[in-house]
Amino acid sequence: MSKMTIPLGPQHPALKEPVNFTLVLEGEQITGSTVNLGYNHRGVEKAAESRTFLQDIYLIERVCGICSHSHTTCYITCVEELAKALVPERALAIRTLVAELERVHSHLLWLGIAGYEMGFETLFMYSWRDREQVLDCLEMVSGNRVHYGINTIGGVRRDITAEQKKIILSKISYLEERTKYYVKLGTEEPTVLARTQKVGMLPHDVALERGAVGPTARASAVKRDVRKDEPYLIYDKLDFNLITHDTNDVFGRLVVRVLELVESYKIIRQVLNYLPEGPIAVKVPAKIGPGEAVSRYEAPRGEDFHYVKANGTDKPERVKVRAPTMANYPSVSYMLDGGYLADVPMVIAAIDPCMSCTDRAMVYDNKAGKVQIYGWDDLRKYGIEHYKKRGIDFSKM
Amino acid sequence: MSEFEKEEKIKAQLEAKFGAAITELTIQRKNRIWFEIPADRIPELMKFMKTEMGHTHLATITGFDGGENLGANYHLTDTHGIITVRAKTPRANPHLPTVTGVFPGAVPYERELEDLFGIKIDGLAPGRRYPLPDDFPADQHPLRKDWKIADAYPDEATAKQEAA
Repeated sequence: MSKMTIPLGPQHPALKEPVNFTLVLEGEQITGSTVNLGYNHRGVEKAAESRTFLQDIYLIERVCGICSHSHTTCYITCVEELAKALVPERALAIRTLVAELERVHSHLLWLGIAGYEMGFETLFMYSWRDREQVLDCLEMVSGNRVHYGINTIGGVRRDITAEQKKIILSKISYLEERTKYYVKLGTEEPTVLARTQKVGMLPHDVALERGAVGPTARASAVKRDVRKDEPYLIYDKLDFNLITHDTNDVFGRLVVRVLELVESYKIIRQVLNYLPEGPIAVKVPAKIGPGEAVSRYEAPRGEDFHYVKANGTDKPERVKVRAPTMANYPSVSYMLDGGYLADVPMVIAAIDPCMSCTDRAMVYDNKAGKVQIYGWDDLRKYGIEHYKKRGIDFSKM
Repeated sequence: MSEFEKEEKIKAQLEAKFGAAITELTIQRKNRIWFEIPADRIPELMKFMKTEMGHTHLATITGFDGGENLGANYHLTDTHGIITVRAKTPRANPHLPTVTGVFPGAVPYERELEDLFGIKIDGLAPGRRYPLPDDFPADQHPLRKDWKIADAYPDEATAKQEAA
């Protein structure tokens, strides 16, 4: 059979992010593939050099829509090391709390995407509905659903109240119940098994060789998690397990992520019960350095890496960001080779490449010339009333 | 110093193998070591650290513009600590050897050095440029300190001036 080369992307229904794959096909089987990146290069590293350390937090937060807290925490750890700032324990605990809420949000989002890619849209609807619970927590704690802006040099910007703690704990209990269901679903449901087992294989030694990180590596039995290997924030005081799986396929990546959700709930409970009293931030001078620092952080997608060089002014000399997806792309071409075209979206989605989301509806009243912003409660009320007029009552749900 | 026992051991191991080639070695704190080595020794060093010392993961490569010299920081890790190896190359004729023979995953990091700093990587397999767009001027390297946005986008710079 003659070989055929087809481009997949940069814009395609399998993935909502610009990346191009050149696939060489023999029939339906893939015999070679290359990944072409760079469609979304925004020059963040150059832009960081012309802003102050503080302004850079908000720039770096926008590197990613989901791992926003991961990137700022990783960056800020470098800056604080250079400034020799002693960050209060309470601030570190709050950072850890937001970090784990972010991981729950990211993994539930991924679970939905995985369901969507395998044609199991009920799973997508369920897990995205449950994800709202954790987004509500993040909004309550930080004021935003994504891009929390909680970090500042020397600490955090908002404190956690006793009432917030109670609400987070109750939502976590709900999510824990739901996750039990997902564990059962992920390991027993025939649709899930048929679409994920023996798909996108990444053997242990290849994962090591190609520098895979995060759940992608851990599903190939690579025991690598920065939270355990080089504990940052307050992870050395917490009790949680490093989750690995040895099936090396998409199924393994699903199991690792779902079980990591359970560990994250454990961590969130411990952090909330630990939460030491004290200030949430210290003052740090605007001019920092000179010096260089590197730091790592276990983002939901894997090891995030930042390098900061200071030259004694209020602006950094150089900032380098290496997001986890970047480290996982070399593994993708291996996973695709020998597989089938129909599995490509599933395999690509299984490394959990990033995307961004936002919410809020704005309604423009033409007659009055007014704009009204609808929050979640307003939208819910509007929906219930809309259906009530048509004879269906959802108000008791 | 017992505080940095592991770090001192790494230092001794590296100095025994590479001797005077290793300069400016500093133990910044626990799990952080920085040093410099001549650019032509980089692949040999990477191979040694990967096979003999268990630093199996190259986290990334950071390019830098140090005025007279350009260069790169190679961040290696054995999962517990980070060793940063600095290599310099003259600005007049910047080139570094590839490490893709040791770390195949380093391809995109080395393409970044080529595109953003204009450091020629000897031995890097040919391929599509990354991360700059295909129509970006090939002789311009945005992360060099003397590069200004007007070099590549003159219209944008004048539009900004008019707005101000």
